[in-house]
Amino acid sequence: MQIEQVDLLILGSGGAGLFAALHAYDTNPRLAILVATKGLLGKSGCTRMVQGGFNVVLDPRDSLELHFTDTLKGGRYLNDQELAWVLVHDAPATIHELETRVGCFFDRREDGTIHQKPFAGQSFDRTVHRGDLTGIEIMERLRDQVLARGIPVWEEHRAVELMVAEGRCVGALLLDIRQGRFVGVEARATLLATGGGPTMYKISAPSLEKSEDGLALAYRAGAVMRDMEMVQFHPTGLLAGAGRVTGSVLEEGLRGAGGRLYNALGERYMARYDPERMERATRDVVSRAGYLEIMAGRGGPQGGVFIDVSHLGADFVRKTFPGMVQRVRDVGFDLATGPVEVSPTAHFHMGGVAIDPDGHSSLPGLYVAGEDAGGVHGANRLGGNGVAESTVFGRRVGDALGQEAAALPRGHLPPQAWEARARHHRRFWERKGGENPAHLLQELRQLMWEKCGLVRNQADLQACLVGLARLRDRLEAVSVAGSPSYNLRWSDALNLESLITVSELIAAAALLREESRGSHFRADFPQENDGEWLKNIFMALSGDATRVWTEPVRFTRQRPPGWEAGKEDEAQHGTRVAPGTV
Amino acid sequence: MAKTVTVVIDRSDAGAQRRFEVPVGRRETVLDALFYIQNDLDPTLSFRCACRVGMCGSCGILVNGGERLACRTALEPLGPVVELAPLRYFPRVKDLVVDFSAFYSRYRAVAPYLKPRPAVVDPVVAPPGSGLREEIDLGLECISCGLCLSACDVVGQVPEFLGPAALNRAYNLVADVRDAADAERLEVVGDRRRGVWQCHSHMSCVEVCPKGLAPTRAIAHLRRKLVAQAFFGRRPRPVPSQQRFAEGAR
Repeated sequence: MQIEQVDLLILGSGGAGLFAALHAYDTNPRLAILVATKGLLGKSGCTRMVQGGFNVVLDPRDSLELHFTDTLKGGRYLNDQELAWVLVHDAPATIHELETRVGCFFDRREDGTIHQKPFAGQSFDRTVHRGDLTGIEIMERLRDQVLARGIPVWEEHRAVELMVAEGRCVGALLLDIRQGRFVGVEARATLLATGGGPTMYKISAPSLEKSEDGLALAYRAGAVMRDMEMVQFHPTGLLAGAGRVTGSVLEEGLRGAGGRLYNALGERYMARYDPERMERATRDVVSRAGYLEIMAGRGGPQGGVFIDVSHLGADFVRKTFPGMVQRVRDVGFDLATGPVEVSPTAHFHMGGVAIDPDGHSSLPGLYVAGEDAGGVHGANRLGGNGVAESTVFGRRVGDALGQEAAALPRGHLPPQAWEARARHHRRFWERKGGENPAHLLQELRQLMWEKCGLVRNQADLQACLVGLARLRDRLEAVSVAGSPSYNLRWSDALNLESLITVSELIAAAALLREESRGSHFRADFPQENDGEWLKNIFMALSGDATRVWTEPVRFTRQRPPGWEAGKEDEAQHGTRVAPGTV
Repeated sequence: MAKTVTVVIDRSDAGAQRRFEVPVGRRETVLDALFYIQNDLDPTLSFRCACRVGMCGSCGILVNGGERLACRTALEPLGPVVELAPLRYFPRVKDLVVDFSAFYSRYRAVAPYLKPRPAVVDPVVAPPGSGLREEIDLGLECISCGLCLSACDVVGQVPEFLGPAALNRAYNLVADVRDAADAERLEVVGDRRRGVWQCHSHMSCVEVCPKGLAPTRAIAHLRRKLVAQAFFGRRPRPVPSQQRFAEGAR
């Protein structure tokens, strides 16, 4: 096997990966950097798919404190407050750099300054955007700057394993998809920036190649994971029958601008769930409301609810949301003049690898930025804080890597160790006539949607874990044949393995959290329970078993309203959940 | 019996199956048909996609001979037989998958990245109607899908031609008050062999662009700038007014 050596290996070419590459390069141009990406440079992943925009404090009437409080409230105070503060604090400098160095140009107000539009869960209109397809501008320009610096990029090289030696991450095993062969990359530092992407749900929004690879890799390598039960469903995923456009997001700006949600009876149902904020309630609340309406039999012909922006005026809608109008037209409806059927759609994973503000994971040599990391958003992410996270942390972790990576030790593994892992991922080729991974994936998506989705309960979650164990057994019966070059069935098998691994962590954490908070809703524990559950659930693979434990949230900057100091002391020193096994 | 269409795919392995019967629903696309074939009929078929909503530009192919994004092309209106092939002028990796080096070698040649002017330290103040961005706005949102390059009549005759997407990007930067590299970029795009003079204004690029952009217009603007420069020399550009950012945010 070919084994390459670099100083810094960056896995992923979205907002986090490319911004990190630029900053690591600019901080230390002598660093040998390699970017490896599952798809094409800057084209795969979800920063590219950002529609609505980027939350940032620019207006003197707004403040970092307000953005911070909105982020914590939205996250139901489960956030790592230091990470959330970094997000808010570094966002203005990130936008400044995107505009003045990277080459982006965002929409302007009448006075010529940067325009900011309304999103949900915000006390000030602070979402910067380029039309309603903001991610294109951000990714194209970051890609341009990577080309400017000549940073090496390996396209269609997916990471299948983080390699660990003596407690350090020493690089990654990559599959060269085009050649169908494995390549090892030894690195002093490895940055995981593959983006999460909860595509294990029947209706989901992320780009189709995403399969939570980063989280599965980090977990298998022994990194500490957190908040895995927290999966965000976006309230307005487009429904387009069996077509793969189904689940793609109609952007939050529609609700921000005054869009209304109706059930099949024509009721504006948000009045029953959040009469004050209505459609501008946070995503967790609006998604759950839509799901409950659909489950109560008040859904439309495709099993969804309806978003209607036609009262804002057809011209306004066409001018303000041209990308959304076009997408809806593609599937045969008109967003400007009437209601469009939508469903909650799995969108984002708040859980992920536990990091510090410079992206260090618990595993030396492994850095994490973007959706692969957990903690920034707590139990629910605000719309517009996602691309802010990937760029803010990509930038910041890139700086840290530029300063640290060259001095980190280079770990070595014997060639047999690399070969052994490659053999493991080639095992599907040794069978004939086995299971079809594409079909197993459909079963997984159905299982997770029904048993571990927007409304959960103990019996369903236990059934989910049983179902996942069966799927894992059947994964071991999957067979792959034909040429290894660009073999999509092999990709399906590898994707399925990542998705099952992460699904097991989601379901196990969801079973443990016996309360409802943010995007995690338990029908058998429908209340938020601050007394017991202002705690984060952590998980880490240790040998063959998974250690699971909880830690009280550290309110380093802000306490939840009504939180009593006495309680805090008790919680800080309170009993920990005994380590268990998933 | 559900309605079906016959999908005929140009495969890289001459012995591989080429014709497939695919059931078609009302809202399904060519990309959905490819998934159906790969999942259920022939697992060895290779194609590429990512976002599936026309934002990433990964799934460009020839559909009945014309450049299209598979994800945004409805299957049903294409008729009973649909022929699929890889993009022209791109080296083939396998089946419908092509290598984008053909695109990037041209794109890179125009220095497609902002080189910031030292005098522009903060975001530019650009009121709608000020003339600073109107022409650029018409050419933004390129997703680098490569359809225009594959459709370009000139690229077939003159392989060195930079092609529509690269020239469109070059114009966006030449017109950008923030950029310092307009002189060197104009030199590249003015090259007799590779540059804008090769364009015959057939507008095939305009026809196939899934984002509704008009590279031909950008090329016309570049030609005008080159002519103006030849007669009048370079004009110094004023420093635009800028939006003050807090010191800490710079």
